[in-house]
Amino acid sequence: MQLPVLNDTPAAKGGCAASSCGTTENQMDTLPDSIREKVQNHPCYSEDAHHYFARMHVAVAPACNIQCHYCNRKYDCANESRPGVVSELLTPDQAVKKTMAVAANIPQMTVLGIAGPGDPLANPERTFETFRRLSEEAPDIKLCVSTNGLALPDAVEELSKHNIDHVTITINCVDPEVGAKIYPWIFWKNRRIKGIKGAKILIEQQQKGLEMLIAKGILVKVNSVMIPGVNDQHLAEVSKVVKSKGAFLHNVMPLIAEAEHGTFYGVMGQRGPTPDELQDLQDSCSGDMNMMRHCRQCRADAVGMLGEDRGDEFTLDKIEDMEIDYQAAMEKRKVIHQAIQAEMDSKRLEKAEKAQQHKQEPKLTTRSVLMAVATSGQGVINMHFGHAKEFLIYEASPDGVRFISHRKADQYCGGDSTCGDGESTLQVTIRALAGCEAVLCSKVGYEPWEMLEAAGIAPNGEHAMEPIEEAVMAVYKEMAEAGKLDAVKDSVRAYA
Amino acid sequence: MAVKIIESCVNCFACEPVCPSKAIFEAKPHFLVDAKKCTECEGDFPVFQCASICPIEGAILNSLGEAINPPGSLTGIPPEKMAEAMAELQSH
Repeated sequence: MQLPVLNDTPAAKGGCAASSCGTTENQMDTLPDSIREKVQNHPCYSEDAHHYFARMHVAVAPACNIQCHYCNRKYDCANESRPGVVSELLTPDQAVKKTMAVAANIPQMTVLGIAGPGDPLANPERTFETFRRLSEEAPDIKLCVSTNGLALPDAVEELSKHNIDHVTITINCVDPEVGAKIYPWIFWKNRRIKGIKGAKILIEQQQKGLEMLIAKGILVKVNSVMIPGVNDQHLAEVSKVVKSKGAFLHNVMPLIAEAEHGTFYGVMGQRGPTPDELQDLQDSCSGDMNMMRHCRQCRADAVGMLGEDRGDEFTLDKIEDMEIDYQAAMEKRKVIHQAIQAEMDSKRLEKAEKAQQHKQEPKLTTRSVLMAVATSGQGVINMHFGHAKEFLIYEASPDGVRFISHRKADQYCGGDSTCGDGESTLQVTIRALAGCEAVLCSKVGYEPWEMLEAAGIAPNGEHAMEPIEEAVMAVYKEMAEAGKLDAVKDSVRAYA
Repeated sequence: MAVKIIESCVNCFACEPVCPSKAIFEAKPHFLVDAKKCTECEGDFPVFQCASICPIEGAILNSLGEAINPPGSLTGIPPEKMAEAMAELQSH
C-alpha cells in the first residue's frame, strides 16, 4: 500500500504551507481520514493530541539483539529521562496490572507502548503476552511498539493480531558504511556480527519489516537519532527512502551523549546537535516527509503526558494496593475522551478560522521570531515560568505560527539543582531559551523577569489561558508594530 | 567445562533464551549458569551463544576464568579511554 504524498506542495519554509498556522495542522488536514482517525488521540503521533492525551510505556523487554553506540545497557537512574532507562523491570502480568491502574487513574491515557529497555521484539514472549492480555482486558487502549527492526520481519504476523496499529522503527541509516559507525554489532543467526556486515543485515531487516508492515496496513513512524558528523548528512536520504516505502511520520531526535552515561559516543566525546542544527535538518527533510517535532525522548517506563513522568505514582508496591474496576473505568474514560475530542474539534475549527482571517489581513514583511511557551496542556498558555520543566518553541513569521520543538528547562537530570557545574536552575533555563526573543507564560516572577530581559528575552504574562498560536501571533504583531522586527537580528541563530 | 556469569551481569535476560542446554537461569543478584548443564555449546554451535549476545564486556568467563568478551571488544571504547572518563567523573 502506497500512502498518498503529504506536503507535496512547495512550502515557504519547512513544509509549513504559507497560508495557515502550524505545520502540524497542515499535516493533519492532508492526512487521509483513515490515518487521521488512528492518530488523532495518539500523543506521540499527533502534535495536536499531545496537548490533551497521555501515554505510558511498560518496561517488559530487557533483552536486546544489537548494540547502538548511544546506548549503555548498564544504566538505571531514577533522575534520568531518556530512552533505554528504566527503574523497575515488569513481568507481563505486572505490566497489565500497571497499565489498567494508570488507565483508570489517568483517563487521558490512550496509548500503551512497549519500547524496551531492550528491544521489544528481542523479547517476543514477554512483549506479545503483554499485548495479548491487554487487547483482551483493556480494549480501549491503543497498543504500540518500538523496535530496532532486526527481528521485525518475523514479528509482523504476530503484531497484526494484537490490536497494534502503530509501529515505530528506529532507522538511523540506509547505508551500511554509516551503520558501522553507529552499530558495533548485532546478534544474528546464532552469531555476533560486527561492523559493516552486521549493519548491512540490520538495514535489510529494517527495510523489509517496514515494507511488510505497510502491506498489512499498519502505520509506521520512523525514528532517527541525529549524530553530527556520522549520519546528519545522510538522514535526508533516509527520510526519502522510508517515505517512498510508506512510513507516515519521521521523527529526527538529537543524540544524547554524556561521558557519565558510559556510552561509546559519550565517552569518545561525540557531541549532539545544537537546536539549530536539528531544526535545519528537520526542515530539510520536511519537504519530503511529515516531520515529528514534539518527541520528548522519554524513558522506557514513562507515564503521563509527554514531558511529564508520573511513574512514581504507579510503582509495583503502589499498584498492588489499587482495586481497579476496569469496566467502570472504561465507561468513565469514554465520556472523557469524547469531551476532549469535542474540545479539540472546536479548537481546530477556531484555528482554521483564525488562519483564514490572518490570510485576509495585509501581509507583514517582517523577519521571523522564535518564542518559548510554558504550557501544561490543552493547547493554552497556562504555566508559571518557574514551574515549567520544559518550553515549547514556536516560530512566528508573516506566514503564521509553527511549532518547532521543545526545550528542556532542567536538562536531562531532575536531581539536585546544584549538581553539575554550579549554574542555578534559572541560569540553565535561560540558557536553554537562547535564540528566543519572548517567553509566554501565565506568570513570571520578579527575579526571572529581570534576568530574562537582560538576556534579550521579553517575558510576557499577558496571554494566560489563551490558545498558544493566537497568543504567539498577537505578540508577534505587537513586536512588528513596535518596530522591533525591522533589523535582522544576527544573534537569533547564534545558539550553540 | 562450563561458562560462568559474574557480578557485572545487568540481568538483561538476553542470554537465557539462546542457551541450547537451558543451563542459564534467573537468580539474585544476577543470572547464573548451571555448570552441570552447560556444554559450552559443543555439538550445537561453534561459538558460545550466551557470550555472543551478552552486551556487557567481562560478564561471562570461560572455563579458564577468562573474559570471553574482554574490555573494549564489544563497545569499541578503548579501556584506557573508559578509565579516563570514569576517573574524570569521580574527581567531580
